Amino acid sequence: MNTLLTSARHEVLCTLRARVALLLLVVFLGMVSLSSLIGWITNTTVTRVYAKILADGLTTAPNPFAGVSSLYYSRNSVIYVVLIGALMAIILGVQATLRDRKSATTDLVLSRPVNIVLRLAGQFLGLGAVIASVLAASTVISWASISVIVGAPLGIDPTLRLVGFAALSWVLMMIFALLGMLTGLYSRKETTALLVPFVIWSAVAFVLPQIGTAARPVALLNPVAALAPSDSTSFDLVGAITGPFAITEQFKRAASIVLRDDSVTGSPLASIVLLVSVLIAIAWVVVVTPRRTLRSGLNE
Amino acid sequence: MNDTWIVAEKELRDLRRDRLFALLIAFLGVATLVSVAVASADFRNQLDAYNVYVANLAQSGSTVTAAAPQLFPLKLLRGGIEYLEILGALFAIVLGYGTIAKEKYRGTLALFLSRPVSRFSFAGGKVLGLSIVWLGVVAALTALSLLAVVTIGHAPIQGIDVARLLIAGSFAWLYLVFWTALAVGLTALSSRLSTGLIVALVIWLAFVLVIPQIGDTMDPDNQVPGGLFATLQIQKSNELAVLAQFSAFDGIRNGLEVSSVTKHFERLTFAFLGIKDQYNQQPLSRVWAAMLPYAITLTAATAASVLFAALATTRRTLQRKQL
Repeated sequence: MNTLLTSARHEVLCTLRARVALLLLVVFLGMVSLSSLIGWITNTTVTRVYAKILADGLTTAPNPFAGVSSLYYSRNSVIYVVLIGALMAIILGVQATLRDRKSATTDLVLSRPVNIVLRLAGQFLGLGAVIASVLAASTVISWASISVIVGAPLGIDPTLRLVGFAALSWVLMMIFALLGMLTGLYSRKETTALLVPFVIWSAVAFVLPQIGTAARPVALLNPVAALAPSDSTSFDLVGAITGPFAITEQFKRAASIVLRDDSVTGSPLASIVLLVSVLIAIAWVVVVTPRRTLRSGLNE
Repeated sequence: MNDTWIVAEKELRDLRRDRLFALLIAFLGVATLVSVAVASADFRNQLDAYNVYVANLAQSGSTVTAAAPQLFPLKLLRGGIEYLEILGALFAIVLGYGTIAKEKYRGTLALFLSRPVSRFSFAGGKVLGLSIVWLGVVAALTALSLLAVVTIGHAPIQGIDVARLLIAGSFAWLYLVFWTALAVGLTALSSRLSTGLIVALVIWLAFVLVIPQIGDTMDPDNQVPGGLFATLQIQKSNELAVLAQFSAFDGIRNGLEVSSVTKHFERLTFAFLGIKDQYNQQPLSRVWAAMLPYAITLTAATAASVLFAALATTRRTLQRKQL
């Protein structure tokens, strides 16, 4: 137990001392803060566009933005978790395991009666604490900025939904942090350790969803889902196979439902179960890393 | 010049043996093939849906005719271009970082700098070598794209299409050299090797993903699945008239987008390949006239990035003690 907590505390300290990691945390928090503002400016403008169209007599259709939830303004945050959050988590994860290998302190640590599983689980917990703190800060920022936009403090339901979204974000970010830890443990080069999870992230975030839905890579960065292909039978079939592996899309789906995005319907349960299962599986792979792998050197 | 060429030649030899580099380029190639396959499957679905619609019309005795979906071969490459702008830039950064990192890590720099070499021969040779590599990669991807359009997309290709693809390829080369040279400069300047890479990745994240994403998200037409104006059944001329009254907002949105070099590359390639409807099937002279400012800015950005790499990669920065 002592090993677990000592490792966790060491990981938190090292992460907070790393300036680059702090830069990423600031970027992430900055973008989450901006996302409500961007959502509000866009919504205001689009509502004015609709009013103009209506006044010119060009449409009789109802306003598609009438009665949107107050959480509408935080929908960009979903994309920032997939983009900035996941990449930040990868870098934190890679640095966590590479740090000891680069400075050759693993040999020293392992000369003590240290349980490897507890050591790695401690690093995981430390990273989890850092990421949870960042998400807690981003949730407070989102809550405050949306409250200012709507002119009243958010109620219990939207507040709980924001907390639920933060929990989901933690699961996704920890999956990528663990992926980073894994490549940091097994790669022989620092470049490979950083690059491999980036490539996996890009395949999961862009290639798999494109195969399953025909959505273009850049369109996947828009919080508004693209229309399904005209006759989607073939894509449905492929999507059923690739869907479970496209965890960023599963996260976007679950997060959209939690944040009451009307364009996404259904239950988020299957997506949440899938994300948690992936987290558990990859955590298990990390903590069972053999002693000799931990002690292997780097070769740039 | 001789020193520069020797460094460039060594770089080419190293990369020919680099399995990681081969893997990255193969990944880019597979992503391009996948995107063409998906786009052509999507088009076939549209065509099937159209045929069913026409058959139903004929069965009901209607004389109304509907326009059939038209296949423009180069439009199938949209996904491939988007992969190049996202993943190509990422791989270019990794390559730029790797070329400096390996010399610093192996300690071969001290040996190289003990020779009477000129001020810019190291940086010049590295950037020259990587530029040649990217030229080869872009040529291979261009050939692969053509092949994919013809074989997977079953689309006929004409001489003008090849010319358009070659122009787009040359812009892709400039774009990739921009990111590689930037990474070379940043890695040379950083006192920790990984810091150079991570700073380059943060810049990539901001300019390739985040800024274009904000611009895209702020587009009024992107607020509803399928497009706001299509949902409200507004004709194009009316759409433009309405949007003209919101020029200040659109100016801010466009200003955000053009602050990213990625958007310059995207607008150039989408125009020349006819992916953007406005330029589809238009003569090249007209596209050139419209796209000249973007061509100039992309070229200038690449030249600035190469200059930055050359100025940052000095004897002092290269020999700085690594923390």
